[in-house]
Amino acid sequence: MIHVPAPDAFAVFGVARTLDLDEPELELRYLKLSRDCHPDHNRAQTSTDCVAVLQRSAEINDAWNVLRDPWRRARALLEAESQGVLNRNKKLDPMFLMEALELAEEVAHADSDGQEVLTKKLNAAIDADYQALRADVAKADFDTAAKRVHQSHYHLKALHDLEAKS
Amino acid sequence: MAYSDKVLDHYQNPRNVGSLDKESNDVGTGVVGAPECGDVMKLQIKVSDDGKIIDAKFKTYGCGSAIASSSLATEWLKGTSVDAAAEIKNTQIVEELSLPPVKIHCSVLAEDAIKAAIDDWKAKNGKKTEEK
Repeated sequence: MIHVPAPDAFAVFGVARTLDLDEPELELRYLKLSRDCHPDHNRAQTSTDCVAVLQRSAEINDAWNVLRDPWRRARALLEAESQGVLNRNKKLDPMFLMEALELAEEVAHADSDGQEVLTKKLNAAIDADYQALRADVAKADFDTAAKRVHQSHYHLKALHDLEAKS
Repeated sequence: MAYSDKVLDHYQNPRNVGSLDKESNDVGTGVVGAPECGDVMKLQIKVSDDGKIIDAKFKTYGCGSAIASSSLATEWLKGTSVDAAAEIKNTQIVEELSLPPVKIHCSVLAEDAIKAAIDDWKAKNGKKTEEK
């Protein structure tokens, strides 16, 4: 299998590389870009052109799935700014990992009242993660931002586990 | 794709789950994570004066292979020396559990956890950690 690296999603959409994309505007852009690739609108005649359009269409769909999700968008932004930054920052602080382990245990043992409290706590933590991420990106501190994205994954996973329980 | 019988066995009957007193001087604690899958592994060793590992415990939040890898690691650690423990390689875990390629990182996590626990114990006891 040939691995084709995914193109920068922001470039595919022709939008500025920022965390705070206007989501309704992004969706309109997606529809417009997709329409341009649709056979009813696109006059590609030769098979080479058809393949190119098909490929463009796939790129647009992939990019849309990245950009519409705030955390995937963040990952794409960090990779575009500093290639390999997520991989380089996989080693997380043991103190944080200890907390993540305790959190996972809390989730596993939570009764229905506990679940409600934990859901609120996790949503607050995820919001705080994203705020902090914005600040890191604004300072162009992509290494800290990458760690932040990795840490948030533990919060997102805990929330997901919690939702799966109820 | 199915898990091997050995993975299932460790997953269903994990050995040595629990915690040791991490403040104690004869206990080394390693906590490592695999952020891409959101796994966390805590592995602890209790070491006697003559450098033998007399107890090992783990707690892992993650997939079946991660749990099995750490469970197996604690089995191997108990009764061995710290020096021999430092030689445990993830490939041995892969082989023993017949882990498929997509789950090799779980065994890497277990090896990292062993090394982190040993380093912690060495740091507590004033022993120099070998340069990597």
